[in-house]
Amino acid sequence: MPAETVTYLDAIGEALASEMEADPDVFLLGEDVGQFGGAFKVTRGFLERFGPRRVVDTPIAESGFTGLACGAALMGLRPVVEFQFADFISCAFDQIINNCSRQYYRTGNPIPVTFRAPFGARLRAGPTHSQSIEAYFGHIPGLKIVAPATPQDAAGLLISAIRDNNPVLYLESKYLYRRIEAPAPLSLDPVPIGSAAVVREGTAVSLLTYSVGVHQGLEAAEQLAAEGISVEVVDLRTLVPLDVATITASVNKTSRAVVLHEDARRLGYGAEIAATVQEECFWRLDGPVIRIAGKNTPIPTSPALEDAAVPQLPEIIDTLRRVATA
Amino acid sequence: MAYPTTSAVDADLAVRMFEVMALMRAVEDRMVAMYRQGELLGSLYTGHWHEAIAVGTASALRPTDVVAPLHRDLGVHLWRGLEPWEVMASFMGKATSPTGGRDGTLHYGRLDLNIINPVSHIPNNYPIATGAAFAMRYRGTDGVAMAYCGDGATSRGDFHEALNLAAVMCLPCVFVVENNQFAYSTPLTHTTAAVDFATKAVAYGMPGVRVDGIDVFAVHEAAAAAVARARAGDGPSLIEAVTLRMHGHAEHDPADYVPRELIDQWAKRDPVQEAAARLVELGILDDDGVVAVFKRAHDTALEHRNKVLGMPMPEPDSEEDRVYAG
Repeated sequence: MPAETVTYLDAIGEALASEMEADPDVFLLGEDVGQFGGAFKVTRGFLERFGPRRVVDTPIAESGFTGLACGAALMGLRPVVEFQFADFISCAFDQIINNCSRQYYRTGNPIPVTFRAPFGARLRAGPTHSQSIEAYFGHIPGLKIVAPATPQDAAGLLISAIRDNNPVLYLESKYLYRRIEAPAPLSLDPVPIGSAAVVREGTAVSLLTYSVGVHQGLEAAEQLAAEGISVEVVDLRTLVPLDVATITASVNKTSRAVVLHEDARRLGYGAEIAATVQEECFWRLDGPVIRIAGKNTPIPTSPALEDAAVPQLPEIIDTLRRVATA
Repeated sequence: MAYPTTSAVDADLAVRMFEVMALMRAVEDRMVAMYRQGELLGSLYTGHWHEAIAVGTASALRPTDVVAPLHRDLGVHLWRGLEPWEVMASFMGKATSPTGGRDGTLHYGRLDLNIINPVSHIPNNYPIATGAAFAMRYRGTDGVAMAYCGDGATSRGDFHEALNLAAVMCLPCVFVVENNQFAYSTPLTHTTAAVDFATKAVAYGMPGVRVDGIDVFAVHEAAAAAVARARAGDGPSLIEAVTLRMHGHAEHDPADYVPRELIDQWAKRDPVQEAAARLVELGILDDDGVVAVFKRAHDTALEHRNKVLGMPMPEPDSEEDRVYAG
């Protein structure tokens, strides 16, 4: 009997498998992705289904296999690289920055590679297994960055990422893997990169967020609705290129904006979004753009410490209420 | 040190090898003059005494094989058909350079000639070459990828990761280490405690040979053996070719740190002159024939310099073009 729901994790696997079925140039590589099915089991069964030619277990060599993927992409293949944790992408920084991201600008030769990076906190995994990496890479010309919040977007954005002719950093929330479900069957239509979604309409304040923040935002909006405060929640979905039109349309309507993300506050993505909002919507704003973000600390392991490090629902509700009623 | 003996190669091939070596020397000498005349943008990286390595290896490959050369390897590009003016245009930032002026100096290379354009972070072309090899095997061809680096670049992790990946995955790769005894100013004693670089191959489970980097025929023979092995599906090899960097790291660098007696010793063995002498000795060319080759190389270099001077610079309003592929 088919399952009635699809988890965020299953959605990633379904989308990946469907692209591998559709395009023989798509292959998967990374640590433990084959015989082990991936550390989080996203690719469980892939080795049996697609064989070792297309499901490639690599040594622990993030820089090496990232370079390998980029070289293969230069030759026209469409590799999907799994970083076991987004944290390990730092080992491949040089390859991504210098060979990959600027290859097309330098040479006119595209690198159609997808980097899957399970990111984010809240799993008590500590400072080197919980990082958010979007701010590092958001600064780099030539990369696109997506960060889906729902199973449907997880599937649709992965399909778009694989079909895109540019390197795409696909930030999958390992916290959401098994916590978020959608009704089955999933649509396997691509979700366009560069398109945000208004996931809850409101009138008093715009909450601009992505990934885990979307679910926190929706819950906060629901609670505030009971107080008569109408919150609009915008799921950015893509961080590069940013959907400025959807953001400004929302803020111009509500005249107030709050940005929410889990990554550290200092030079986090919220700074870019807040700056964009003030440039585009300054005369329509009723108050400053407020950021809710992680502390400027590493992500600690112990539950009480980690909970203090990343945004929690009460802070989000309080901030939205304060901004909406100011 | 023991070098393999020199094999006889086909006479036409031998002449072609000598011609490209002579052209490499003539083009680089011409560009040194251009550097001194202020015609180039920045510094100039040349491969004096690397001619036998570049040409001896490139001549062992098919045009459909992929190369990932670096800054001492002009002969590899010339062998494959890159025009001297394109190299000059790169050092001048011309719109007509292989990167359209978006990159410059030694970062030329055309993928349509199956040459991977290098970046400054050496040897991150090594993992890229493993990807090219992976892609050729993935597509079922018997293509080979050859990557180049110097003694200095062997210290970086990408060297290790690429060799290890290539060996574990049995990729059709040939890794060429051009041991010119200096990494900018850093001598071999500060680069490695190993007796040589060829020995390092053993630890990766691949063959490693050390060849006389002055003798183009010895280099060719070693390269042909490594290429044949890779093409047959027997995996990667490492070739260490020994020479001395006869100019500074770049032309701004007087290289006072290189002992005078070392330069005097290696000056006696000019690879281009040795190739000429060998052809005369084998009766393939006479003295007039040798002179004619040098004259043609000189004239070609000058003609290309005269041609490149008037070529256009990029338009400033194109600066933001080509960041993302469509």
